Amino acid sequence: MSLTAHVYQIYIGATPERVWSAITESEWTRRYFHTTEFVEPPKPGRPYRTVGADGRPAIDGIIEEMRPPTDRSPGRFVQTWHTLYDPELSDEPPSSVEWTVEDAGEGLTRVRLVHSNLERSPRTWENVKDGWVWILDSMKTLLETGHPLPRVRDDESVRQAVSS
Amino acid sequence: MEQGVEVFRALADSTRRALLDSLFSRDGQTLNELCARFPEMTRFGVMKHLSVLAEANLVVTARQGRTKRHYLNPVPIEQVANRWISKYAARFTSALVALDEQVAADPETEMSRKAETA
Repeated sequence: MSLTAHVYQIYIGATPERVWSAITESEWTRRYFHTTEFVEPPKPGRPYRTVGADGRPAIDGIIEEMRPPTDRSPGRFVQTWHTLYDPELSDEPPSSVEWTVEDAGEGLTRVRLVHSNLERSPRTWENVKDGWVWILDSMKTLLETGHPLPRVRDDESVRQAVSS
Repeated sequence: MEQGVEVFRALADSTRRALLDSLFSRDGQTLNELCARFPEMTRFGVMKHLSVLAEANLVVTARQGRTKRHYLNPVPIEQVANRWISKYAARFTSALVALDEQVAADPETEMSRKAETA
């Protein structure tokens, strides 16, 4: 079976402009995206890199498209995705992450996230599968309530707690 | 309307759950592929169920050239879970569920369990 893309969609009670900021600006990302932020503000056609709060590299790649939302067209943020936070994943080739930010009416913004080009990256495919769900939910919660989802203790500590 | 309502309504139907199961095992299927997996249903029936799932945001479609593919979107299910289960508890619960499944799958523990209850 070939690995298909992951496709996610979420509706957020915020303007497309605010959602766009949440995706592209470090002041927002560090609050919901596992503390990660862009080392430099992302620019179309330029390489980018994100790091965690502890300074450890998280992701790098190229910003292939960066078009903010307007009244007439949805916002598009397309980045190649190369994982740095896990050596097993960084051996795999870059994949592609596409964000589409669109006014859905009634004060809602529709965010669609497509993570594709994962055919040769089975470990990344598996790793991001559930991770994106949490990121999107956390981003929505932050934009709507001012607070992100609480940080999760890692699975290992929970497993130990359960088995002890 | 509250989004949760649509999710529960969509999930209340066993055929729609079977469609989600099918996408879970193989994501990105076309309408033709899904119809082939449910020969007992008409094409119109499959389309109708898919549109209910799409309205609940549980299925998202994406075009790839001339092909329209259907993807399982797990986000609303996570949101339903987060409503009543804190993230910390959710991990705990899934660890406990996994533990229970592991115990149930192991015939020896299953036997000692039975012996205990006997």
